[in-house]
Amino acid sequence: MIPNKNLLCQIFFVAVLFWISCTKVNLDNAELGDRTADFAFPLFSTEIKLGDLLVNLLNDTLSGDTIFVNPDNSVTLFYSGDVAEKKASDIFGFLQVGIFPMGDSVITTVIPGPTGVGVRVVDLKAGTLYFSLINTLQDTVTGYFDLPQMTKNGVPFRTSSFTVAPGKSWNSGVIDVADHRLNMNNNQLSFRYFAYTPNGNRVKVPNLSGFDVGVAFSNLKFSYLEGNWGNQEYQLTRDTIEIDINQTNLKGDVRVTNPKVTMRILNSWGFPTRGVIKYLGFIGQNGEEIPLNSTVFQQSPNGTRYVDFAYPLWSAGEVGQTKYTDIDLDNTNSNIADIFNSQPTRLIYEVDGISNANSDPDVIGFLTDESAIRLQIRVELLLEGSVRNFGAEQTVPLDFSGMSSLDSAGIESVEFKLVTENGTPVDIDGQIYFQDETGQPVDSLFERGQSKIMTSAPVSNGVATDQTRTENFISMNAARFDHIRQTARSAFMKIFFTTAENGQVPVRFLADDSTTLKMGIRVKKRSE
Amino acid sequence: MSDNCLKKWVLRTAIALLGFPVVLPVFAQQELLLHSSPEIWHSNATNPAFFPEEKKFVLGLPGQALDASHSGSITYGDVFVKNGNRTVVDFGGIIDKLDSSNKVQFDQRVETVSLGVRLPFRLALQAGHAMRFSGAAVYPRSLPQLLWNGNGPYIGEELAIAPSASLARFNEWSLGLSRKIGTVNVGARVKYLTGTNALSTDPAHASASVYTSPDIYQLTLNTDYAFYSSSIITAFDTSGYGFDLQFADFRSVTFTRNTGLAFDLGLHARIGERLSLDASVLDIGGKITWDTDSDYYISQGTYTYEGQVFPGVDIVNGADNLNFETKLDSLNDIFKFSRTATSFETALPLRAYAGVNFDLTKKFELGISGYLSDRPGTENDTYALGASARYQIIKPLTVAAMISINQRNAANLGLQVFLRPGPVQLYFTSDNLLSAFNPANNPAVNFRFGAALAL
Repeated sequence: MIPNKNLLCQIFFVAVLFWISCTKVNLDNAELGDRTADFAFPLFSTEIKLGDLLVNLLNDTLSGDTIFVNPDNSVTLFYSGDVAEKKASDIFGFLQVGIFPMGDSVITTVIPGPTGVGVRVVDLKAGTLYFSLINTLQDTVTGYFDLPQMTKNGVPFRTSSFTVAPGKSWNSGVIDVADHRLNMNNNQLSFRYFAYTPNGNRVKVPNLSGFDVGVAFSNLKFSYLEGNWGNQEYQLTRDTIEIDINQTNLKGDVRVTNPKVTMRILNSWGFPTRGVIKYLGFIGQNGEEIPLNSTVFQQSPNGTRYVDFAYPLWSAGEVGQTKYTDIDLDNTNSNIADIFNSQPTRLIYEVDGISNANSDPDVIGFLTDESAIRLQIRVELLLEGSVRNFGAEQTVPLDFSGMSSLDSAGIESVEFKLVTENGTPVDIDGQIYFQDETGQPVDSLFERGQSKIMTSAPVSNGVATDQTRTENFISMNAARFDHIRQTARSAFMKIFFTTAENGQVPVRFLADDSTTLKMGIRVKKRSE
Repeated sequence: MSDNCLKKWVLRTAIALLGFPVVLPVFAQQELLLHSSPEIWHSNATNPAFFPEEKKFVLGLPGQALDASHSGSITYGDVFVKNGNRTVVDFGGIIDKLDSSNKVQFDQRVETVSLGVRLPFRLALQAGHAMRFSGAAVYPRSLPQLLWNGNGPYIGEELAIAPSASLARFNEWSLGLSRKIGTVNVGARVKYLTGTNALSTDPAHASASVYTSPDIYQLTLNTDYAFYSSSIITAFDTSGYGFDLQFADFRSVTFTRNTGLAFDLGLHARIGERLSLDASVLDIGGKITWDTDSDYYISQGTYTYEGQVFPGVDIVNGADNLNFETKLDSLNDIFKFSRTATSFETALPLRAYAGVNFDLTKKFELGISGYLSDRPGTENDTYALGASARYQIIKPLTVAAMISINQRNAANLGLQVFLRPGPVQLYFTSDNLLSAFNPANNPAVNFRFGAALAL
């Protein structure tokens, strides 16, 4: 019995030892067992400021236009035409070259000046004078020429003396007349010469050929011109301003609360000038002409619209100054608001000028060589208004290569979480189309078509006061997710803006209004 | 991907600090029933005053003991399951059973050889060698939750994932002397300890958490976590996603520079013919100073992964693209443990036994035994109190049973089988019989077996 019991015990202990060895577990390479785990992690976030967005949407194809952020962060769009500059010298010419034969020892001639201008003072900044004499007498003559109306530092001009034998000639050589002043009487200038025979008698040298005695001007340029200004009409500018604020082919209703067209004239012409509005109107989306009518212009008896530009007064000693004339056309004095509701595409304007339009004979005016009229018209849109389904498009490259470590073999499903935190007074509906490398759509983010991506922030007095959070969950099965991940190379975003309260109330867009767009992902993954 | 990162990090951490104990045999003994049997030579481990009566020379042969438990009803078999040829970690069935904070404790003792000799003057000399492995760990339920379910179900919750642990593996070289004074045998033993491996988390830096934001699932990882290691962790490999723990080779080393001392005291008194009393305190002052490959690892930092941040103006202008490059390499930075070579100390649990036995007949004996264990610096103190009955069926065969109560269970049924064929002692004993035969499916395991030659 006992040996049998010992045997049983021995078997028992052997069994226990065997069990011990069986229960040894080495977890150096331990792995988790089969399961479906749910992992969540962030993908990306970005903050888009309204100012940046506007710059891109509205400004990228309109070189020369500007977006101005006002001190209160409101945003003004300026669509500007070219600056039309007319220098006075372009319109009002002055004698440059002239030859004046002297049939007598004193001649008075009319110097050609600007049309309609009775010149009385000219300050020369460049030019030359040339006197010549051929002695047609039998005696030697001595003498000089002078031009008492031309002075320098108060000293009348006079040539050097000449002595010319019979049949011989003399010339003064080229005389520089820069910095000389001409004091004329209604454009008239007198030239004289004094010739004496050896016995002291003053004589007149016969001008037999018509060119034996004379004076010539060359390259005269004035720095200042003063006189009585007459009535003269001339062309100032004609230009076109592109103002298409909808850069896309998408439709949308845009209402700008207070559009303006501003006309600024910078004038340093020293005489009255009238701007005549020859044409001012918009071109609509379908090419139709829409005249811009305004009560801000005066109207002549013949129906011409005009505005008299401010100018520096000679009588007030305002030589060299520039005077400004600003003309604002807005919804209080024009039909511009109505025009902008139809989303015009361009503004065309043509302005001519008339000097001394009232033909006042007592008008004393002036010009300097720098005098000019600069005229600029611009369309000014304070971004305050409303839009409804205003469209915009953007294509953003995509790169999912960084997600290559996500082993899709075990993925059962993914769920994207798209979050917007919107600080703008705008709702955005939209759709994102995933495109392959050739630009062909391979899928879209929202299976049911465009969705609300973000909701307008709360609005008070037209201004966004807080943020509104909008969440979208986009579920995809593994196959769809894999397809997008492997084929999508860009995202074509088609979005539609509608301002607060479905575009029924005007809102103000502030440059620092911003929206945060971010996305996370949950992946249900089977681990085996 | 972050799932890989999270998974690997948490899994490695879990294995390092929880799974580590199970690289060793899952087997051992709570000593309560053994302690009630002084005639078994290995009971000397519970009281240096124990020496089998009427024996003059004892050669202790190998024996093993394990006392291990997990709080709640979690069993080894719940966690580690066979999947083909692999053993995989399966938290699926246990997460709902876990408490918010869970405890694992174990004490393993492997007797290699021991010797007892009676000397003149009623003295007895004892010497021996044993390998011991002792540890405890506390871990939050959220750790296996995160491992198993991912972070998706816990969006908006901060998951604390830091376990605390203290474990040490060491050799015990003992030399003891006992003397019988009247009817009282008094024993004392000094133990020279040589440590082989140790890991101890630093209570001052014991937090690590993962938070998944409900916004777009931004991940915030927060660590202030540190531990001491000697010959366990050799390096962190942060070259890939997450990190890999590089473990030291767990070879048995008997002599190291990690040394310490501990003392045992005990008495065993016989009062009259039938009654005996005993008491012992073990591992007094037990402490090991770890110098070999001992390092302090600490990870501190907060890292929030927010995904790619694109400048909005670049997106609007089309100057940038939406490149979903996940910059998870930077996760390594937050988990990167700095390592400082340093020595440190670990304290052994202080244990105490007391018991009384009463011989009803020559073959039938009743007893009461008690046990206390104080594990310094942890909440894993344990106790047990049991009543036993012992019956000698035949001279070489004695069986004993015990009903005991401990901190885990109010009614544990213990069993002991003691064979004495001639001078040979063979025994198997368990304070929890059901777990002894099916340890993989019980939250608490307790048994011991061994052999000796007693002359």
